[in-house]
Amino acid sequence: MALHASTVVVPIDFSSASASAINTGLEIVENPSQLYLIHVMLPLETMSPGVLLGDVTDVSRTAKVTTALKKLAETHNATDAHLAVTIGTPGLEIADYAKREKADLIIIPSHGYHGLKRLFLGSVAERVLRHAPCRVLVLRRPD
Amino acid sequence: MSPLFFKLFFLVTFLCLTGHNAVALAQSPAPNSSNIEIDNEDLNEKATESITASIDSQFGIIVENMANVLFWEPVKAVPIPLIVIILLCGSIFFTIYHNWLNIRGFKHAIDITRGRYDNPDDPGEISHFQALTSALSATVGLGNIAGVAVAIQTGGPGAVVWMMLIGLLGMTAKFNECTLAMVYRKVRPDGTVDGGPMHYLEIGLQERGFPFPVAKCFGLVFAIFCIGGSFGGGNMFQANQATSAVRGMIGDRPGLDWFFGGLLAFLVGLVIIGGIKRIGQVTEKIIPLMCGIYVLAGIIILILHANQIPEAAVLIVRSCVSPEAAYGGFIGVLVQGIRRAVFSNEAGVGSAAIAHAAAKTDEPVREGMVAMLGPFIDTVVICTMTALVVIVSGAYNTPEAGKGVEMTRWAFSETLSWFPTVLNISVFLFAYSTMISWSYYGEKAWQYIFGTTKKAIIIYRILFLGFIVLGAVASLENVITFSDLMILSMAFPNIIGGVILAPRVKVLLQDYWRRYKANEFTVYE
Repeated sequence: MALHASTVVVPIDFSSASASAINTGLEIVENPSQLYLIHVMLPLETMSPGVLLGDVTDVSRTAKVTTALKKLAETHNATDAHLAVTIGTPGLEIADYAKREKADLIIIPSHGYHGLKRLFLGSVAERVLRHAPCRVLVLRRPD
Repeated sequence: MSPLFFKLFFLVTFLCLTGHNAVALAQSPAPNSSNIEIDNEDLNEKATESITASIDSQFGIIVENMANVLFWEPVKAVPIPLIVIILLCGSIFFTIYHNWLNIRGFKHAIDITRGRYDNPDDPGEISHFQALTSALSATVGLGNIAGVAVAIQTGGPGAVVWMMLIGLLGMTAKFNECTLAMVYRKVRPDGTVDGGPMHYLEIGLQERGFPFPVAKCFGLVFAIFCIGGSFGGGNMFQANQATSAVRGMIGDRPGLDWFFGGLLAFLVGLVIIGGIKRIGQVTEKIIPLMCGIYVLAGIIILILHANQIPEAAVLIVRSCVSPEAAYGGFIGVLVQGIRRAVFSNEAGVGSAAIAHAAAKTDEPVREGMVAMLGPFIDTVVICTMTALVVIVSGAYNTPEAGKGVEMTRWAFSETLSWFPTVLNISVFLFAYSTMISWSYYGEKAWQYIFGTTKKAIIIYRILFLGFIVLGAVASLENVITFSDLMILSMAFPNIIGGVILAPRVKVLLQDYWRRYKANEFTVYE
């Protein structure tokens, strides 16, 4: 059965796996404007050198990520895709975003960012599965 | 069972294996309680003292067991702990292998720190100068004020020579580790940086042909000791000596340790849990000023005692080559000097590499060279100055001068009667900034093991605050041993891994030096 969706959320962590999730999303939607790319940043560490001595703020971080998201969308010929940058716990933020945008599909790679990758489903993917308001397509790790 | 629980279980098992006897003590009966009637205030006071003594003695047993393992002396005839041998040999190796970069690269390191090559568009969070300031805010602290006094107290004046020597050699160890941290750092899309020994050990060793489990093991061992270091030298020692400074100022009051420990934990909690970054920012900016005032006061005292300096220098050199038996002879002085110097400047330990990894540059070697200045400022300048003041004032052989920070305060107040107040403020601010910086190092290591989930991070931060209170109530000896154990043990994986990865640094250094000599770098100032 072919998978149809008109509002597809793709979480982006800028790994090659999330880039391939964009490709999968593009195969499903009719046009790139139906893709909703979101990057979730971790809360700022108030004791990091960049915060204490440098000029790292949530505003500066958001600007940098937005530029990187735009560039990523361009490389996939998806300049019309919607972009979002939020701060918080990735799994929950992704599910909330899907609710807000009334998404009917979330596409997420299964990989974990860290830890015992081979034993556990990525904690972000697991949380998205638990809280998502719609269908979730979990992509297998290539290995 | 969640992965977080799984990993916590491993960490607790590891710590228990090194301090298993503590369990037996924890099960031992509580201190004797009597049925004699005494008034409530007295009872409360005695109860507080009893809890404090009980915590301190249990902590002491854990520390003793850990010391047996981690401060193992491989050659019975020469009582030098293995870790001190590794630190000394590692520093000598890096200095020779990088062809005395600590001397030939000194001027260039100052030029870089001055901002001569700062390109604002380079990736990273902070400038070279800010990276050095950040690393120094973690190292310049009570190690320089109290640690030096402890070194002279336990190793005699001769320990100063070894402190200076390891300070000079440690410059290249610091260069090696900070360059590696830059090479293997990860710049996130939001512009923030993640780097440090756990990353370069894991990735770098795999590049050198080590299998993944071995490389990961190096990273994990480093991270475990780094978490321990963030609870020890970066936390308990600071809290302990800051409390001691307050006690010296207002006198010993019942419950002072608990109150002040709680206050410190609250103030650190405002930044690391409350997210009030302004307090941390102000503290970080005041630190260079406090350093300046401290060094200036030291210089004034030394000028006023200028005629005694040659005598002090002779005493230092004489005690170094023919030390008194009371200080453990030649080896005792050597070990004390190295322990206190490395505790202060953290060269070879790998902690500063976490801060330096945040520098804005695309030249890893350049940041390594800036990092080299850290041990020089920390040990060769500030520690030596403290040592000279302690010696020329006679504090080191005056029993009423006290121990640790109290001895340094006594030494300064002999000449400058107003100085204790300034010193107490400095001690508080140094302790506070060191704790905030070390909470960052420890949290990075914690994230390496437990991940970046909110739950994992909050557990670490609460533990960190708990150790501040423990540090305030425990005795100086136990705190120093625990802090030394953790911080010095970070050098096990870091120096061994650093030596294995040194050829990579050497190739980068040769290429960088060639371009520097050929004037190929863009100058921005």
